Amino acid sequence: MKTYLIFLDKISIFVTELAKEGSLYYSKLENGKTHFVAHHENISIEPEFSKIRTPENMKHFFFRSRDLVARFPKDKSPAVSKQFLVGLKNCDLRGIDVYDRVCLKWQPLDPLYKARRDNTVIISADCPEPEECCFCNLVGLNPYPDAISDINITRLERHYLFETLSKKGEVIIEQFKDLFIEAGKEDLKERDKIRKNAVKALEKFNARSLPDNISERVEKADKKAKHAARKDCVECHGCLHACPTCYCFLLSDYRKGKETERIRTWDACYYAAYARVGGGANPRSKFDDRFWNRFVCKFDYFMQYEDIYACSGCGRCWRGCSGKIDIREILWKL
Amino acid sequence: MEAVNPYAAIPAKIKKIIPETPNITTFIIEGMPIEFKAGQFAELTVPGVGEAPFTPSSSPHADDLEFTIMKVGRVTSALFDLKEGDQLGVRGPFGKPYPLDEFKGKDVFIVGGGVGFAPLRSLLLALIHDINDYKKIYVRYGARTPGDIVYKHLLPGWRKLSKLDWLLTVDVGDETWKGRFGVVTVILDEIPVNVKVAPAIVCGPPLMMKFVTQRLVEAGFQHEKIYLSMEQNMSCGIGKCNHCRLGKVYVCKDGPVLTWEDVKHVEEPFV
Ligand code: SF4
Ligand code: SF4
Ligand code: FES
Repeated sequence: MKTYLIFLDKISIFVTELAKEGSLYYSKLENGKTHFVAHHENISIEPEFSKIRTPENMKHFFFRSRDLVARFPKDKSPAVSKQFLVGLKNCDLRGIDVYDRVCLKWQPLDPLYKARRDNTVIISADCPEPEECCFCNLVGLNPYPDAISDINITRLERHYLFETLSKKGEVIIEQFKDLFIEAGKEDLKERDKIRKNAVKALEKFNARSLPDNISERVEKADKKAKHAARKDCVECHGCLHACPTCYCFLLSDYRKGKETERIRTWDACYYAAYARVGGGANPRSKFDDRFWNRFVCKFDYFMQYEDIYACSGCGRCWRGCSGKIDIREILWKL
Repeated sequence: MEAVNPYAAIPAKIKKIIPETPNITTFIIEGMPIEFKAGQFAELTVPGVGEAPFTPSSSPHADDLEFTIMKVGRVTSALFDLKEGDQLGVRGPFGKPYPLDEFKGKDVFIVGGGVGFAPLRSLLLALIHDINDYKKIYVRYGARTPGDIVYKHLLPGWRKLSKLDWLLTVDVGDETWKGRFGVVTVILDEIPVNVKVAPAIVCGPPLMMKFVTQRLVEAGFQHEKIYLSMEQNMSCGIGKCNHCRLGKVYVCKDGPVLTWEDVKHVEEPFV
């Protein structure tokens, strides 16, 4: 796709213009980290791309913790409005990739997800400085996006370099073409250097790659390995709710006047009742098995279904874990 | 055109309620709100309460849709409180049907236990509909007591069909019972079919499924021809929520009928 340059001080004009067309969320620097915040009118937008992914995960934008998915007896599709997400990182995009496969590729498609996805413009950015928690390189990703998003941004010395990755992205650049000039070979060279350094930094944190046959090892793990893996877990389930690739949910019905609303809420396979059947029996009544389910799901089954891991290497599960469990350590030990 | 919402249930009306045993009831739903094939299931919504998965017990060729249901949890209890004429919701059909084409020209061996006979009835009716396509149909059915046998009123008619071979057993009999005693495996000593080619179909409580499957494997049935109706916790019914996953297979989308070949690697498939 095509590459463009915009002067550093012009980016807020670009983003402010976009915000006139829908809700806009962007990564904003706060106390040394970036966080996803909603743009409100009359506040100038200064997106920041130099940091790694935000602590909050982006699944809310497509798949809220509580969503109304159907009504009874008369169904009505909810109105979905346009949204712009500025500053997602490649690991966030792996989450979207997983959802795209489950909700769009696997039939029947999920209409609410599709409506939100169609109405979302994703503007992603490179990670120039990966941190210790990052291991996207171990799950087949680079610290810079080259697909899934509509536009990707790399910060150069004097410009931001925009690369369009979809038709939607092209249309946006065309719409604001006065702000952009075309990028040249030198700019791409500058970008390559930044990217190489980022990869090097990642490799420093993740010198050991995952064993090739990780799916098999995860599948064949014995009782002892499963038990050892979860020994520091306090069963808070924080890792699953923080994870951008986890998507388990539960449907529940609630009466609202004469209607019934069907609500989809995030669920997590670590909950004891998750797999319990109507009669009360539970195939994963032991926590060792529930804990391991997350590993087979992400590293074995999803690999078998779609040839990618349902893990992005974002490290949110480690950062948020009360027991400081690092998923890499568990995988390396297998 | 707007995409069909797979989470939305179709409104339907309960036409008739037939108690079968003290805790099992058949609900007849007016018309055919969904087209299904034997082996597929649907989610029934009790308005304001929730939904649960059930396999129809009626023939796919019938005019009305029927479900024979045991009262076991929150949704089924609410379902038992509904009356004739009340509204409920139907969502489906979900899952894969039995490969009836592959059964053609062969003996079909069916083993049911308790309310597990309900989904088998739908299959049986589909087989009877084209009975001349199959060699012979064997039904082996076990219930706890004579009172727990479902579809008693249909048995005399079925017994008249020469291509249908029946054996029944109860764990505990009463003074009227003239049949066999013991769990369903007691009527599996003799297996009068060619196990190398015949399909075997099993549905019942988990423990029964486990022992029957063991027996069928011993008897020499091909693992990919032993069809098991699996019960898992289900929510979405469409392979998205992950609740029903058994090993790597989705019971809702790849099942609910899975073969022994599909599930034999799972540590404890019958729960
Ligand atoms: S895991 Fe990779 S893509 Fe994600 S924030 Fe870290 S470096 Fe960036
Ligand atoms: S499992 Fe951990 S590292 Fe992998 S995507 Fe989820 S939160 Fe990120
Ligand atoms: S019931 Fe949701 S995936 Fe099967």
